[in-house]
Amino acid sequence: MRGPWKSRLRPADVLGTGTVGLRTRRARAAFTALGIAIGIASMVAVMGISSSSKADLLAELDLLGTNLLQIRPGQSVFGDEATMSADAPAMIRRIGPVESASSISAIATTVQRNDALSSRNKNGIEILATEVNLTQTLAATVASGRAHDSASVRLPTVVLGAIAAERLGIENVDGGQRVIIGDRWFDVIGILKPLPLNPDIDRSAMIGLEAARQSFGVTGLPSTIYIRTDPTSVDAVRDVLARTASPGAPNEVDVSRPSDALAARAEVDKNLQTLLLGLGGVALLVGGVGIANVMVISVLERRGEIGVRRALGATRAHIRNQFVVESTLLSLLGGVLGVSIGFAVTTVYARRQGWLVDLPLQGLILGVLAALVIGAVAGLYPAVRAARLDPAEAVRPAA
Amino acid sequence: MTATHTSPQTNRTAPDKSAVLELRDVVREYPGIPPVRAIDGVSLRISTGELVAIVGPSGSGKSTLLNLIGTLDRPTSGTVLVDDVDTGKLNDSALAGLRAARLGFVFQQFHLLAGMSAIDNVATGLLYRGEPRRLRRARSIEALERVGLGHRLDHTPNKLSGGERQRVAIARALVGDPAIVLADEPTGNLDSTTSDEIVELLHGLHDEGSTIVVITHDRDLANKLPRRVTVRDGRLVDDSTEVVR
Repeated sequence: MRGPWKSRLRPADVLGTGTVGLRTRRARAAFTALGIAIGIASMVAVMGISSSSKADLLAELDLLGTNLLQIRPGQSVFGDEATMSADAPAMIRRIGPVESASSISAIATTVQRNDALSSRNKNGIEILATEVNLTQTLAATVASGRAHDSASVRLPTVVLGAIAAERLGIENVDGGQRVIIGDRWFDVIGILKPLPLNPDIDRSAMIGLEAARQSFGVTGLPSTIYIRTDPTSVDAVRDVLARTASPGAPNEVDVSRPSDALAARAEVDKNLQTLLLGLGGVALLVGGVGIANVMVISVLERRGEIGVRRALGATRAHIRNQFVVESTLLSLLGGVLGVSIGFAVTTVYARRQGWLVDLPLQGLILGVLAALVIGAVAGLYPAVRAARLDPAEAVRPAA
Repeated sequence: MTATHTSPQTNRTAPDKSAVLELRDVVREYPGIPPVRAIDGVSLRISTGELVAIVGPSGSGKSTLLNLIGTLDRPTSGTVLVDDVDTGKLNDSALAGLRAARLGFVFQQFHLLAGMSAIDNVATGLLYRGEPRRLRRARSIEALERVGLGHRLDHTPNKLSGGERQRVAIARALVGDPAIVLADEPTGNLDSTTSDEIVELLHGLHDEGSTIVVITHDRDLANKLPRRVTVRDGRLVDDSTEVVR
């Protein structure tokens, strides 16, 4: 047999040579991979936790609906408190896509558990005169008892918001509880469940418009009107709401969508998330430098092995590939470990918070890919150095 | 010692035998002021089936000579032919291919891969020929049996004695049936009894037809081999085939 001879390494053996260092130096490989794992894990966990939190808020929003609008009097051009006319609710109901509209008006009085307590005793509970369809418009449900009906709104009966009931020390309506509003006794007929979109309602005691007129002699102009619209026409309704409620001075009323505040919460942690992702990135970078470092040391230590491989017929490319594969595998190991840790952290945290576990798949893929790229880049320089070793030099006994 | 002195340029082998290795006027200089001439005009022919000792004191240039013969290093001038192929005309990866196919190496400090079984270590000798793993392992077992280590196939180097390690290294050099096995101080790290066993093994392999070049500083070891090439200050000063003992 005469030349030329060709050195050849099977693809499976390329992978095999790349694992030699990992198999023979397991503890070192594990610690090096851990560096990458910590970086990847923190990034995956940050992505997973914020995405789970957001998914949970959005699920809550879905449940609550984003088709509730509210309108309140603002300020007149002179800076005075503006008002809405009493027929504003009726006019709003005439807008096509409006499913229901319900007004409340605040009454300047207080509620107490019994007549032994002074009416000056502030408990922060607002007294509202409400229309019968308020609970329907707000999609409120009762925790105990029942909501107002067309009969109860004429009677001295009251429905309490969740926080108001708590402050008055009323847990349920089974015992025929009564409270004193102004100077009159009212029967508590129901307690509402908390309303995430309408915390004001939670802190109020609601009586019927008719009962308010009879007991306190006030008609009360609407202080807020709640509007439930067709979900597809929220923006259209919103655009015409001010002019409908206050045709003379549409700029004197404030229209808002309570769910916007909740939706904003889903985005509010962006800065923190960026910061945490940045920290994870730094950890990843440090992990990458760690790999490069360990590979450089490894090349120095394995000078003899490199020399022998060259003597046995390895080309420079074979040596270079061996070390690039090794460093990539090392990092990939860390990446897979990191993704698993990140996934576990996300799951535990989300479960503890009672959230849905939502981890974007592209985040997981990104984590593994990042590890791959970092490993390859970190290994390139040591690998090139290994390949450039002079074989005659490398097989010489260490001095 | 009754060595026959002959001219270094004399072709010692019968003309009908083909030269598996030939050095023509090889010079190797290391840069410096002034340049160091480690090998100074060496010509040498080694034929198939020879067992040759290249002997010389340390600093004589014998290690440089081994690297040149093994194509791990290139001469500053002159020609190194392996299988009649001028290695000076081959690029780095073609030389790697040549080493994979035609050369076997045995090192003083064994250079086995830690954590790998004897079989896997020997199989590394075939790795860069692109042979399938199963074939590599089968041939490695044969080679280990040839060097008398059939009972140590799955042992890692740290569980083997010095002599056993060197046998594994010899098996790795032999496994691909190379044109030449180059052994650099193969007994340098071994006690005298083990050394004798390794020399015995080399004789046995030579009898089976292997071409072996042993580089050593040890006169006594060299005298046990059929042909001795003496190197001093980078030159061949003696080439003898006289049987000493």
